[in-house]
Amino acid sequence: MSYLTSPSASRSRSLAAIDTVAPAHSKGQLLFAKSKVYVHPTPSAKDNIPGFIALVRPPGASDREILLAWMPESLLRGEDVRAYSKVDLHPDDAPALEVFVSLPPISSISTFAFAIPLTRIYSVMLRPPSLGWWWGSIIIHTRNEAVVPALFFHDSESQSTIMQQKQRNKKFTPFAPDGDLFWGGDQFMKYLRRYTTVEKSTFEQRLYLINPEPDDLLSFSPPNARIEKISDRESLSRLVKDARWNVLERLARVTRFSRRTAQEVIGNSPPAVRAMLNVPEVRQLGDDFDSARVYLAKWAMTISEEAERSKSKVVWTDVVGDHIGSMVGDFEVLNVDDRVERRNEVSREEWKAFFDHSGRLCITVSEIKERIFHGGLAPDVRSEAWLFLLGLYPWDSSQLDRQVIMASKRDEYYRLKRQWWDDIERQKTDAVWKDQRNRIEKDVHRTDRNIPLFAGEDTPHPDPDSPFANIGTNVHLEQLKDMLITYNEYNKTLGYVQGMSDLLSPIYAVIQDDAVAFWAFVGFMSRMERNFLRDQSGMHRQLLALDNLVQLMEPKLYTHLEKADSTNFFFVFRMLLVWFKREFKWDDVLRLWEVLWTDYLTSQFVLFVALAILDKHKDVIMEHLEHFDEVLKYMNELSKTIDVEETLTRAEALFYRFQRTIDAIDRKNKEPLSSGGGGWSSPIVPSNSSGSSGFPDGPPDKSLPLKPDVTGRIVISDVLRELLSKDIIVVKDTIPMEEYES
Amino acid sequence: MLKVIILGDSGVGKTSLMQQYVSKKFSNQYKATIGADFLTKQDVRVDDRNVTMQLWDTAGQERFQSLGVAFYRGADCCVLVYDVNNAKSFEALDSWRDEFLIQASPRDPESFPFVVLGNKIDVEESKRAVSQKRALAFCQAKGNIPYFETSAKEAINVDQAFEVIARNALVQEESEEYSSDFSDPINIHLDNDRGGCCS
Repeated sequence: MSYLTSPSASRSRSLAAIDTVAPAHSKGQLLFAKSKVYVHPTPSAKDNIPGFIALVRPPGASDREILLAWMPESLLRGEDVRAYSKVDLHPDDAPALEVFVSLPPISSISTFAFAIPLTRIYSVMLRPPSLGWWWGSIIIHTRNEAVVPALFFHDSESQSTIMQQKQRNKKFTPFAPDGDLFWGGDQFMKYLRRYTTVEKSTFEQRLYLINPEPDDLLSFSPPNARIEKISDRESLSRLVKDARWNVLERLARVTRFSRRTAQEVIGNSPPAVRAMLNVPEVRQLGDDFDSARVYLAKWAMTISEEAERSKSKVVWTDVVGDHIGSMVGDFEVLNVDDRVERRNEVSREEWKAFFDHSGRLCITVSEIKERIFHGGLAPDVRSEAWLFLLGLYPWDSSQLDRQVIMASKRDEYYRLKRQWWDDIERQKTDAVWKDQRNRIEKDVHRTDRNIPLFAGEDTPHPDPDSPFANIGTNVHLEQLKDMLITYNEYNKTLGYVQGMSDLLSPIYAVIQDDAVAFWAFVGFMSRMERNFLRDQSGMHRQLLALDNLVQLMEPKLYTHLEKADSTNFFFVFRMLLVWFKREFKWDDVLRLWEVLWTDYLTSQFVLFVALAILDKHKDVIMEHLEHFDEVLKYMNELSKTIDVEETLTRAEALFYRFQRTIDAIDRKNKEPLSSGGGGWSSPIVPSNSSGSSGFPDGPPDKSLPLKPDVTGRIVISDVLRELLSKDIIVVKDTIPMEEYES
Repeated sequence: MLKVIILGDSGVGKTSLMQQYVSKKFSNQYKATIGADFLTKQDVRVDDRNVTMQLWDTAGQERFQSLGVAFYRGADCCVLVYDVNNAKSFEALDSWRDEFLIQASPRDPESFPFVVLGNKIDVEESKRAVSQKRALAFCQAKGNIPYFETSAKEAINVDQAFEVIARNALVQEESEEYSSDFSDPINIHLDNDRGGCCS
């Protein structure tokens, strides 16, 4: 092997071989070349040998005698290097350019180089890049049984392929004519077709016959074995019906775990994949993708989702649905716990029936919370029900109590608002106040403007000095602004922080009464306050909890995230800060929030929602994303593609699994340690969360979710234990704004 | 891959400048950035080289600056943006610069490339709060930082500014490579090496 990898040795051999031919006859015309085509002689990547695949016409040769060659880079001499590179980058101009190169060696065992006349080639098997095979490859079958190595197209290294891909992506037609993602092998086949007949075998999808004899055509492309063209989004349904058990079995494998199989099944119906690209959200995904890996990851996820959708749409209505159903019984986490079931939303009638004639709740708080947790609320129930969930109305209040509360809260809001509204002097002179007001106004004008309520700009701005004086405003934007300024006064220690406008707008849109919405917002903020602290300690602690949760529940994913330098979990920062406001569609945000507000299983259910999203995408993350920036990009771009009901179901199942794990450990430990015990039983989690340094370089001492103590019992970390509590975590002493911000 | 960090007060137009440069589009209604995000611009021509730029956009409120550590590392250039109609955003440039140097801790802070952009020059002249003279004086005092007056809305000077940003980032990246002390283990992934590097 060392001989092989020594470039000078192989070089001298080959040069000797080539030099034996007289120079005048040693040149052939280079018709096509592609760079970074590798031979993988061993499973180890470090033995891979880069080279060029090429078509070379020997002097005076006919098309059939053109050589299909592979030349390792190490064999190329100076002028040939330039020639190959030139043809690689200008494939269409190659014949006209008349580039001549040394004839490639017919075969060389030590360097793997080979050159075969087209007439000696029987077929070419193409294997495009896919989830299991990062590099696309081709296998050449010769007529004389000479074995040539498989060639691997390292497309991400090949300038010419990258160029081609970019051009296609610009037009958003990243697919080759046969419907797969474009790759180097396609390009090779395109140019091969110029010089020889290439027949696609209808029998073996990826097999191409070169200059086939009539007999070959019969055995590999029987005229009746035409594979049906599948052209619409129902493709899978038809595939299922047509191919019966064969396909059913393959589908069954898809639904169990294996995404690779999913890719194979879907990959065999390219037009369906193409059709998927017309789905707007998929299009949007593709519009501004960045690294190929992030793109491929998204693509893989789309395909497996499409497979899932088709499965539920088609297969269960099929006569053989039961068969599939029994086979997918163990699919992922969803079915492991039969307690997990989403229900329909609470309707106006059902809501009314929860209360007696005096307006008192006649079921238990736990019951009503369970109902909302599993079903959510109908839109016309929200404006009332949310006031309970956000703590404005006590659950045991009567209708009369609530009227009294409402009246006094309304008065109080207008009193608070008037305090700053009437203080003209301060509005003119207090730079700090003015600055905060400007910040609020700027944010209000860029919050949820796609929602009709906030879209208008037809009202003249009340303040001619405002930066928005020329643009105009609307009454609802003005209300949002006033509420946030009032909150800025009301919670002086915290003040307004970016993100709060995102939390207020859905509440206001649902309630549409500024005074009531204000107090509902205050209720929401009491639990969200810790997200906005100056030292970020609240966010830090949640990220740490998620860290521990992933370590415990998804150890493989955690190991991968460690390798990808992503265990700071900053890629969920936005999700947690504003409770997925930017990740879900508007209506789904309303649903998610009312579910989270119930604290039915835990007050920290939001972390299980994050865990559910990671769980859903973990295979794709582990297979495709290797760096922090890729993970962040992938997670950020999930925005508006996440299914809320499915995520909630998954989150609930994960919660039960977590709870069972903790229970099992507790039972094993039999006798729990007395709380606040001696030194050796002190909490595992260092209390770094109260530090004032903000986010250090990741949590300074990565805590473990579980850790044995001196007696051999397993101690569960505080942050994990906290996840079982239904008590809202509130900030007791807000850190004062020592100095005014920026 | 050149990594560029864009900093400045909230609402000065960081996201808009980035979008204008990368996607050639403008919207009045980019949401306030939460956490961080980045855009990639490929095929940036710097002299005779083709480079890829990764532009990092972060939240503008000072409270979220401590997140920076995770995002600033490995930066090759830092763009400081202010709104020419907002004096406060200009006065904050110095602390943005300091904060960046503390958190990114580049090898040689003295020579680390910054570029200052005064954005929103499309707004009527009467609203202007920071004169060009004042901005230039600041940039000169801070070691001749290149200065551009831009409008993300009307695509004024955006490409020109980013051309200089790319060039300075490339110089920085190359100087980092030279002075690299090789103390970090070199990660070899022949199979899955990162594609799209500035080749």
